[in-house]
Amino acid sequence: MSRRPPRGEYIETDTGNKVARKATLVGTQNIMLGGKTVIQPEVMIRGDLVRSVQSSSSASSSTGAPANNTAVSIGRYCFLSRGCCLRPSGRLYKGAFTYMPLRMGDHVFVGAGSVVQAASIGNHVHIGAKVVVGELAIIKDYVRVLDGSVIAPNMVIPSFSIVAGQPARVIGEVPEGGHEDFELREMYKTVGNNVNPAPS
Amino acid sequence: MAAASSNKRHSILPPVQAGGPKPPVQFSSSITIADSAILTGPHLIAIGSESVIHPRARLESQGGRLAIGRRCIVHERSTLGCAPANRPALPSPVGLQTTDASLPGVTLGDYVTVEVGAMVEAGNTIIGEGTTVGVGARVGKGAVVGRHCTLTPLTVIAPGDVVPEFTVVYSNGQRRTDRRGAAGLRNKGQARQIDVLRRMIPSNPGKFSQ
Repeated sequence: MSRRPPRGEYIETDTGNKVARKATLVGTQNIMLGGKTVIQPEVMIRGDLVRSVQSSSSASSSTGAPANNTAVSIGRYCFLSRGCCLRPSGRLYKGAFTYMPLRMGDHVFVGAGSVVQAASIGNHVHIGAKVVVGELAIIKDYVRVLDGSVIAPNMVIPSFSIVAGQPARVIGEVPEGGHEDFELREMYKTVGNNVNPAPS
Repeated sequence: MAAASSNKRHSILPPVQAGGPKPPVQFSSSITIADSAILTGPHLIAIGSESVIHPRARLESQGGRLAIGRRCIVHERSTLGCAPANRPALPSPVGLQTTDASLPGVTLGDYVTVEVGAMVEAGNTIIGEGTTVGVGARVGKGAVVGRHCTLTPLTVIAPGDVVPEFTVVYSNGQRRTDRRGAAGLRNKGQARQIDVLRRMIPSNPGKFSQ
């Protein structure tokens, strides 16, 4: 393995996550990263906004630490560009206010300056720059959100759609064979402390 | 197994660098203000009871004093009292004090929500009770937004513009009137949200009050 410089721009974890030192992660104990995820500088993730009302089944087992307190979970090969913000969305549930966890699948790209407050985002989703994803929106797999879109709260976007606009509407479909563009493995390799791996 | 944030690793919260003078503040005893909120400027910043200021929210009083009503929520990365867009930065606070000291910079009514990354420019800007300023929206200098309005994400309100009460501004500046009559319900929801946030956000008003 190549030697690591003592203090690079990114913190590289054992599971291959690359987290910028200048990222603002609040409540890190409630943020789950699936591995090989890139978090660029100035990204903000609100892990402190956890679910405050547990579902009735898990509330009964009140002994010890709560089983699942994850506020934001992110899959593998996700790419969070500079300045984007991920936060769980809140809503009234059974008369009490609670935050709902934000779940993100694999190979999700979030563009620069976007604010994501979705309930769930599927796999292979491309979110452009300056996008606002409204509270409790659900984005399925292989969706492309173009730059500057505003996705309304509670909107459900079906798989293989291309959405744009303010408020966002489905304007097209991902063409056949267009799935390859969503792969983020190559992009993962382009950032980090030593981009060109030194020959051992 | 895939948890990257192990307990060994410290929370990655870079220190906040707030330039300029520390503003005089007038906090109600029941507010919640995050440690990493940023307060700058020479003029008074007043925050009413039970309001919540999220981490990394910016309150700037360079352009006049800031008044935040009761039960407001100011989300992260939003800026209250920022310089107007056409001027990159306000002149030195010393020069401003003589001209704008009597003018309020930004006034938020009660139950106002300022969402993530929204900007409210200084210069006697007034936002009425129960209004929501959406994600990334920008309210221009001297604009008056009425009560119970909704400014949807990325809305821009021009400087000096007047938005009548119960207006919804959406889709690049289109407007309609909100006739749902849900204002009371919304305020109740806001109060519930504050109850939860007070438990979640570690408050440190002492940091700002010296």
